[in-house]
Amino acid sequence: MLLKTSLRSFFAHKGRMALSLIAVVLSVAFVSGTLVFSNTATATFDKLFATTASDISVRQAVPEANDDEQGGDGERGKPRTVPVETEQKIAALPGVKSVRGEVSVQNAVLTNPLTNKVVGPTSGAPTITGSWHDNQNMLKITSGKAPAGTGQIMLDADTAKKAGLGIGSKLRAITANGDHDFTISGIATFQTTNPGAALAFMDLPTAQNYLLGKTALSSVEVTGDGSKSNGELKAAALATLGDGYKVLTAEEQKAEGKADMGFLDYMKYAMLGFAGISLLVGGFLIINTFSMLVAQRTREIGLLRAIGGSRSQVNRSVLIEALILGVLGSTLGLLAGIGLAIGLIQLMKATGMNLSSADLEIGASVPIASYAVGVVITVLAAWIPARRASRISPMAALRDHGTPAEARANRIRAAIGVLLTAGGAALLAAAAGASTASSGGQLLGLGVVLSLVGLVVIGPLLSTSVIRVLGAALPALFGPSGKLAQRNATRNPRRTGATAAALMIGLALVTGASVVTSSMVSSANEQIDQSVGADYVVASRTNADLTPAMVTAAQGTQGLKHLTLQKSLPVEYLTPDGKRSKEHLAAATKTFVDDFRIPVESGSAQAAFEVGGVAVGSEFAKEHSLRTGDRITADYGQGHTQQLTVGLIIKANSDMFQGTFANLETVTKAVPVAEQPADKAMFAVVADGADPAKVLAALEDSLKAYPQLMITDKAGYKEIIQSQVNTLLYMVYGLLGLAIVVAVLGVVNTLALSVVERTREIGLLRAIGLSRRQLRRMIRLESVVIAIFGALLGTGLGLAWGITSQQVLADSGVALLTVPVTTIVVILLASAVIGLLAALLPAFRAGRMNVLAAIATD
Amino acid sequence: MTTAASAVKDQQLSGGPEAPAAAARQVTKAYGAGETRVTALDAVDVDIHRGRFTAIMGPSGSGKSTLMHCLAGLDTVSEGRIWIGDTEITGLKDRQLTKLRRDKIGFIFQSFNLLPTLNALENITLPMDIAGRKPDAAWLDTVVSTVGLADRLKHRPTQLSGGQQQRVAVARALAARPEIIFGDEPTGNLDSRSGSEVLTFLRRSVDELGQTIVMVTHDPVAASYADRVLFLADGRLVDEMHAPTADSVLERMRRFDGKRTS
Repeated sequence: MLLKTSLRSFFAHKGRMALSLIAVVLSVAFVSGTLVFSNTATATFDKLFATTASDISVRQAVPEANDDEQGGDGERGKPRTVPVETEQKIAALPGVKSVRGEVSVQNAVLTNPLTNKVVGPTSGAPTITGSWHDNQNMLKITSGKAPAGTGQIMLDADTAKKAGLGIGSKLRAITANGDHDFTISGIATFQTTNPGAALAFMDLPTAQNYLLGKTALSSVEVTGDGSKSNGELKAAALATLGDGYKVLTAEEQKAEGKADMGFLDYMKYAMLGFAGISLLVGGFLIINTFSMLVAQRTREIGLLRAIGGSRSQVNRSVLIEALILGVLGSTLGLLAGIGLAIGLIQLMKATGMNLSSADLEIGASVPIASYAVGVVITVLAAWIPARRASRISPMAALRDHGTPAEARANRIRAAIGVLLTAGGAALLAAAAGASTASSGGQLLGLGVVLSLVGLVVIGPLLSTSVIRVLGAALPALFGPSGKLAQRNATRNPRRTGATAAALMIGLALVTGASVVTSSMVSSANEQIDQSVGADYVVASRTNADLTPAMVTAAQGTQGLKHLTLQKSLPVEYLTPDGKRSKEHLAAATKTFVDDFRIPVESGSAQAAFEVGGVAVGSEFAKEHSLRTGDRITADYGQGHTQQLTVGLIIKANSDMFQGTFANLETVTKAVPVAEQPADKAMFAVVADGADPAKVLAALEDSLKAYPQLMITDKAGYKEIIQSQVNTLLYMVYGLLGLAIVVAVLGVVNTLALSVVERTREIGLLRAIGLSRRQLRRMIRLESVVIAIFGALLGTGLGLAWGITSQQVLADSGVALLTVPVTTIVVILLASAVIGLLAALLPAFRAGRMNVLAAIATD
Repeated sequence: MTTAASAVKDQQLSGGPEAPAAAARQVTKAYGAGETRVTALDAVDVDIHRGRFTAIMGPSGSGKSTLMHCLAGLDTVSEGRIWIGDTEITGLKDRQLTKLRRDKIGFIFQSFNLLPTLNALENITLPMDIAGRKPDAAWLDTVVSTVGLADRLKHRPTQLSGGQQQRVAVARALAARPEIIFGDEPTGNLDSRSGSEVLTFLRRSVDELGQTIVMVTHDPVAASYADRVLFLADGRLVDEMHAPTADSVLERMRRFDGKRTS
């Protein structure tokens, strides 16, 4: 019986349910879409790494600091190599079936000598150049033949197609050992998913000669005969080879490969963020929908109680309706999510990663998560209204009034709300004043949550007073419609509060994010202005290093006052407190101090760039109680160590000067030039009296053979930072869009119900002469007032969050607070527009209402 | 049955003190079509005299409410013509009807007369607010004191008793000085004491303020406050009575009942 009533009532209110349904569908779609996509990607890459991994792989060991960021070789420093004899040594081990020495580097850049353009990806996925061997299952030669001899190279089909190259085309490889032109002898096609990388192959001697510059190997790949486990093989290999080697089992190689796919995780978290937002906002929508349904049915429920329905029956009947909504929404959301995943896969294809939508991995986790999220959220959100429904007394059936008693915000709620909000504010204040970024971050997180919950709780109370102020001008501006709208907006504070809260959440997030990002940009710009003295920065677009040929070419440019060279080394410091800590050391020629004004806490840049000096960050100095003049030991690995004197402690508010800095000459004392990594960047200053434009042209001309290089001036640097921030902002705006869509549904919902609830009132107004136009205006104004109220709360909260975040990040490079006034004004105006849009349908329906039917007495 | 002859209509509509405040000629209101056609009003002719208190009575389903709704421009007629003052309202568009209701008509409903968000005074001045007119302060004072609400003006409807709420509704109807006030069972929801209070005010507004009032009721006592009672049955005007008393009205109504049971 109960189920039947619930079902009937559900379908009787399908219009209202549809709005809530959309919210559920949206959130579930994001959850299931994310899971399907990441499952598919993981499965595909697992397959890829499984086909490429050998049983064990023997490589050169490097200091750990080099390993912490990127497993790939060539990212920093020189390509790792093992001597060729390693191959024989391993082959002799028991349990080894076959061994193969390989060359593979990521620091070679491929260009098309005819167009002088980079071949292969310039960001994200790597360009891998190495030795070709037939016996592999990742690639197959699909046209031409394997490279043989010094002039031949083979390219993967996807890259060749993108670059418009074919067999016989010229391809240039630019490495630390010079530039070499090759002829494409063959094209190989991926047999598995191409993760977007470019691959080029030479024969082994050619690869050794050009890519490594010596007869060595990047790695020795070992296949066992099955008599020993990979772990045993690894142990045996390590025992035979001794120090200086790293051996990875197939499992470890897979893990390494997966670490390179970290951006997929970012995508996953971003999408789950979207899901979270729509869930949160959707939750409010569901609470509101069910509250209204319950309010509307007060008499009906009273009757049910009067004829003997129990409280729990009433409660259950509401929850069953929510359950129906949840199941329906989850099912639709699940389907929409699979569609979303397919869309994402297509999107990834466009960026060069060939995931196949035919291999869609859905698995059991996706429907489980979808239904869990959709149903649980819906039922939870309906919980409060259901409880309220069960409290309706049988007397309600007898009461004459069609309109339900208007909910008044009570005192306990007020007290809790004020307490939470005040607590949130106090936490935010504490976060802003926190001494370290990490403790500030924790306080900030807690403060954000508390202030959000607090405002949601006191939203209804605030609505009364804020809307009274907001709406004060309405009667004067819009006459009776304005007056009625103002009163209507405050008559059900709980409903107004919940509706506005849905809007508030999205806007608070966006406002907060835009305060932080604009502060980041302005702080970075200020830092560039203050710290950068160099006119031009030359660095590679890809993750390859600069080559000696490039440095020579740049040094020959006319009109340069000087050219500073900088390289980056992994280092481990032994400090007087006895601790060892891994750091990066930027080693630069002495003119570095003219190119950059490093903010000083104590000491001087000059002292740090004396031979034997070093500059360290203030956090590092604090952690190890260092002062200028203290001596620390630097360990560069391979037995190279040296004593350094702290000449400068860098002020802590700088994002630009991370890690430690020293003169290149200092490092050369410990690490022979031949073992030093290649240069990472060059900084140029124009000679006094020279025309900067001419010098720039000359510099560009000297480096024109290297399209992978980017010559940036200060303005260009600022643009790069702006564009990096923009990527973040676009995501934030995406979130905003979604939050607004769901919030608009909420406003529509609230207004539609208000119109239905006030049928008789509207009839009365029309009878005594309110025109349709005035009536519609009244509803629109009510909507706008609610929307602006939500927007005010949202931007206020967002400002508090944003400003606090900036304070917390002040020592991490976001020293300058910039409030994006335009954005905030746009948000407020947009919210008014949102209000107007949301009111369109309810206002239209109210206008069409039959006066007579509305006032007819029953 | 029709006492107001069609012959004098044109002359009456030319205005003047003797012109009716409202008139209906051959008004028919039917719902549905063919076999399911229901005739709520069947060729009704009626004149509502200016400055008089008219009651419309009849058994349930007689069409009395429909007649009032049509006269007030809330409902459309199937056939026939209706005038409010010298304005013919049949055929007017919604916007013109709205303006007419706003400027020339006052309403008192059985229940739910007041906007809960406005206080008593705001409710009283609402029609003028909507029309964008300033209330005449002296007149407003007169009306408010007549209905005896001077000390309740800042109260919200929920803080007023049923009788007080209806008095506010009466005051609202009077305040804009409409040509005619329509009451749809204005005392239907009140106990007899509150009901007689409200009726007394209506009576006084006719006697002292010269207001024209049309009231639909099924209560002979309420009808006895009127100058003239029109009796409707089966959509036709079947009788009328001047200077009615509760007893005479009750007597007349009994005849409907008798007719129905026989």
